[in-house]
Amino acid sequence: MKQKLISSVQIILLLALTAVGLTGEYSPNSCYFDKNHTNPWTTYIIVMTMNEIIGSNSSDPQYVDVTSMVQPDSHVSLSLETKTSASIMSLWAKWSPTPLPDVSPILYSVGQFFIIFPVHFLFQTISVEVQTQYKVIRLHAGVKYVVQVCCMLDLGEWSEWNSERCIQILICEWIISPPEKPTIIKCRSPEKETFTCWWKPGSDGGHPTNYTLLYSKEGEQEVYECPDYRTAGPNSCYFNKKHTSFWIIYNITVRATNEMGSNISDPHYVDVTYIVQPDPPVNITLELKKPINRKPYLVLTWSPPPLADVRSGWLTLEYELRLKPEGEEWEAIFLGQQTQYKMFSLNPGKKYVVQIHCKPDHHGSWSEWSSEKYIQIPNDFRLKDMIVWIIMGVLSSLTCLIMSCTIVLKAYRMIAFILPPVPGPKIKGIDTHLLETGKSEELLSALGCHGFPPTSDCEELLIEYLEVEDSEDQQLMPSHDNSHPSKNAKMTPKETETDSDSGRGSCDSPSLLSEKCRESCPLPSTLQTQDVRDVQANKGGKSSWETQCIASEQKTLLFNSESKKSSTWPAAQLPNNQLPMFAYHSTVDAYKITWSTTNVNIAPVLVGNEEKHQSQYSITGTPPMCIIQGIK
Amino acid sequence: AALTPLPPPAGTDPATPLLCRRGAGAAVAAVAGDAGCRLLTVADLFDRVIRHSGRIHSLATALCEKRLPPRDNELGKSARKCHTSGMLTPNGTEYAQKIPREELTHLTLKLLQAWKEPLSHFNQHIEHHQELPDDSLSKAKQISNMVHELKTGVEKVTEKMQSMGIINNSLTGMASSEATGLSISNEANMMSDSDFIHCFRRDSNKVQSYLKILKCRIMPENSC
Repeated sequence: MKQKLISSVQIILLLALTAVGLTGEYSPNSCYFDKNHTNPWTTYIIVMTMNEIIGSNSSDPQYVDVTSMVQPDSHVSLSLETKTSASIMSLWAKWSPTPLPDVSPILYSVGQFFIIFPVHFLFQTISVEVQTQYKVIRLHAGVKYVVQVCCMLDLGEWSEWNSERCIQILICEWIISPPEKPTIIKCRSPEKETFTCWWKPGSDGGHPTNYTLLYSKEGEQEVYECPDYRTAGPNSCYFNKKHTSFWIIYNITVRATNEMGSNISDPHYVDVTYIVQPDPPVNITLELKKPINRKPYLVLTWSPPPLADVRSGWLTLEYELRLKPEGEEWEAIFLGQQTQYKMFSLNPGKKYVVQIHCKPDHHGSWSEWSSEKYIQIPNDFRLKDMIVWIIMGVLSSLTCLIMSCTIVLKAYRMIAFILPPVPGPKIKGIDTHLLETGKSEELLSALGCHGFPPTSDCEELLIEYLEVEDSEDQQLMPSHDNSHPSKNAKMTPKETETDSDSGRGSCDSPSLLSEKCRESCPLPSTLQTQDVRDVQANKGGKSSWETQCIASEQKTLLFNSESKKSSTWPAAQLPNNQLPMFAYHSTVDAYKITWSTTNVNIAPVLVGNEEKHQSQYSITGTPPMCIIQGIK
Repeated sequence: AALTPLPPPAGTDPATPLLCRRGAGAAVAAVAGDAGCRLLTVADLFDRVIRHSGRIHSLATALCEKRLPPRDNELGKSARKCHTSGMLTPNGTEYAQKIPREELTHLTLKLLQAWKEPLSHFNQHIEHHQELPDDSLSKAKQISNMVHELKTGVEKVTEKMQSMGIINNSLTGMASSEATGLSISNEANMMSDSDFIHCFRRDSNKVQSYLKILKCRIMPENSC
C-alpha cells in the first residue's frame, strides 16, 4: 500500500544554484539530497526555476517518488565458479551487493544467459530473492555460460519492479566433465600364442585422456595392467607369450581417465583358444604338370602363415580356396588340411583368379583372403585338330553347295518325287457322246478296256468256242496256249454276230454279247485299276481267286454235263477279262490243267446252266471270269 | 562300439606288430576286401584318437552354443569353477612341449577319467529334466559314449607306444589316474548345467590339443 503523503510536506526547492554548492563533489546541474532530506514516504515535487535579470522561468513540476526511483548500483561483483561434488558438477554464481547500509533487503534476480554453440540462445531468469548466490546444476560440458545479475530494491510494500539495473558480466568458463565410457572392440590371436585387444575410446571432449587396460584371470583376484600398449598400435594392448594362457578366461576392462574423473568400460571375457584368426597363407605357387598320355594340369601349392605353429600340432589349419574365371562369380572349394590343389579341366585361353584363406580347425575365424593370384591358361591349339576341322568344314560346305544346286535345278522333279501327285481316277467315265455315236471301240478304249472285245471280238471268241464244241481240246488248247488276250479276243468270229438264239443264253447274240461285253468292261477296268493299285497286295489273293474260280468252274463243269451252251462263254470270257496279264496267265495255266483233267465233259459242262454259273459266281470280289456270269 | 574305420595309409610297415582285437571297445580295422584284422600303426591310432577327440569337441561346442547364445558376458560368470581346474595341466604350447611325453599322456588320461563319472551323471540328470531340445539330448547322450571310447583309444595308443619303446613305462599306471579322476569327479556334482558344458568343452579341447602335440612330438613326419 502506498501511502503517499503528498500534501504533508512540500518542499519547493528554491535552491537553484545554491543547492549545487551543497553537493560539492557532484556533477554540475545536479542536486543531491542527503539522508536528512530524503524521505521515502513522500513524494517530492520538484520545480526548477531560473532567475535572471530579465525575468524568471520555472520548469514544470516533476513528481518524484523516491522509492520508485531507487536504482541500485550496478557494481555487483559477480563471480562464477564450478564445483564438483559426488561426481556432479555445478556452477556457482556469487555476488555481493554494493554496500548500502540501513537499507531494506535487496531483492536480486539472476538472469542466466546461455550460449550453446553454435547459435542457440536460452535465457532463463530466476529470482533468487535475497540470496547472494545461485547454483546452476545440470551443466553441459563444453558449453559457455553467461550469467547476469540484476537487482531490485523493494521496500516492503512496493512489489513492482520499478527500476532495474542489470549487470551483465560475461564470465566464460569451459565446463570439463569426465570422459565417456570406452568400449572394447575385439581381441584376436594370430597364431594361438599371443593375442591383442583393441578398444574404442568414447568422446573425451577434447581433453587429454589416459587409457589403461586392466585384466584379471579366471579364478584369481589379482588385477594386472596391460603389458604392452605400443606394439599393436594406438588403442590396443598386446599380450605376449608370457602373458598368454589358454583354457582360462580373461576378464578385460579399459579405463579412461582425465582431469575430471574416469570411466570404465564393460568387462570383456576372452578365452584365447577361441579367438584365433590366422594370417593368410603364403608362398602360393603354381606348377604345370604334364603327365604322359594325359592332359596337363595345374597344381597350386601354398604354405601356412609363417607365425602359425603347425609343426608341433598346436595349431591345425584348414584351408579354403576360391576360384573364378575373370569376370564371373567366385566358386569356393573347401580343402581341409591339405596344402595343395590340383586343377583339371580349366578352359584354355581364359584367365583365372584364385585366393586362399585359412582358419583353425576348431572354433575360430577365417583369415583374410590372400592376395589375388592370376592364372593364364595358354591356348591349346593342336594342328591336327585344326586340320580336321578345316577339312570337315570344306567338305560340308561343298556338299551343301551341290545339294542346293541340285535342288534348284530339279526343283519340280524333286517335289514330284517327294510329294507324288495324286493320281487322277482311271475311270475316265463314260462319255455320253461316244455312247450315242455307237463307236464302241472308242468308247471301250476310253473306258480303258484294252483289247476288250468289241462285238467282232466277242464273236470271234464265241466262234472259237463253238469250234471247241466239236473238238474240245485241240482248238481250245491252242487258243489258250496263245494266252494273248487280244488274239483270243480276235478269234471270235464274226459269224456269231448273227442273231441266233440257240439257247446259249444271252451270250449267243452278238448284240447281247456286245452289251455284255460293254457292261462287263467297266468291271475289268475297275479290276484293272484295282489291280494296278493293289498289285502287290492281291498277288496272293489272285491265286486264291483263281483257284476259287477254277474250283467253281470245275463244279460247274461237273454239275452241268449236258448243256452245250455257250457256257464256255464265261470260260471263254475269262481269259479276255484277265486284263492284268499275270493273273490271266495263271488262269490260263489253270485252265490248261482243268481242261486236261476233265477232258470229255468240260465243254458241255461249261456250256451248261448259266444260272448255275450265276449262282456260283458273284460279281463283287471275284475275278473277272466270275463276274461275267453276273452280267446275265 | 568300435572306432570309425579309416582308409589305410600307403606304405604300411609290415614289421609293426599286429594290433587287432575283437570285442567291445577294441580297435577293429575294417578295410574293404580284407576279411580280418589289419596292421595298425601308432600313426593310425593317433589319427583316429585325434579325430575322435575333434568330434567330441564339436559336439560339445554345438551343445554349448545351443544351451547358451554366444555372448561374451556369459563367459565371465564368476561362479564358474570346473572340477578339473585343480588339475595342473599345461596351458600353453610351450609347457606342453616341454613336459615329458609320458606325463602328457598321463594327464590326458587323467582328464578323460575325470569326466567319466560326471558325464554319466549328467546323462541321468538331463533325462529327468528335459530342458534341452531333442537333438541336443541325443548329442549329450552320445558324448558319454564317445568319451569312453576315446579313453579306450588313448589307452591303446599308450600301450602300443610303451610296447614299442617310444615312451617308457614309468607311468604311475592307470590305477592312480583312475583314483585321482574319481576323486575329482565327485566335485562335479556341484556344477550347474551350463558350467558343466562349458567346462567339458574346454577340457575336450585340451585333450585334443595334447593329443595333437603328442603325435607331432612322437612322429613329426606325419602331416605335422
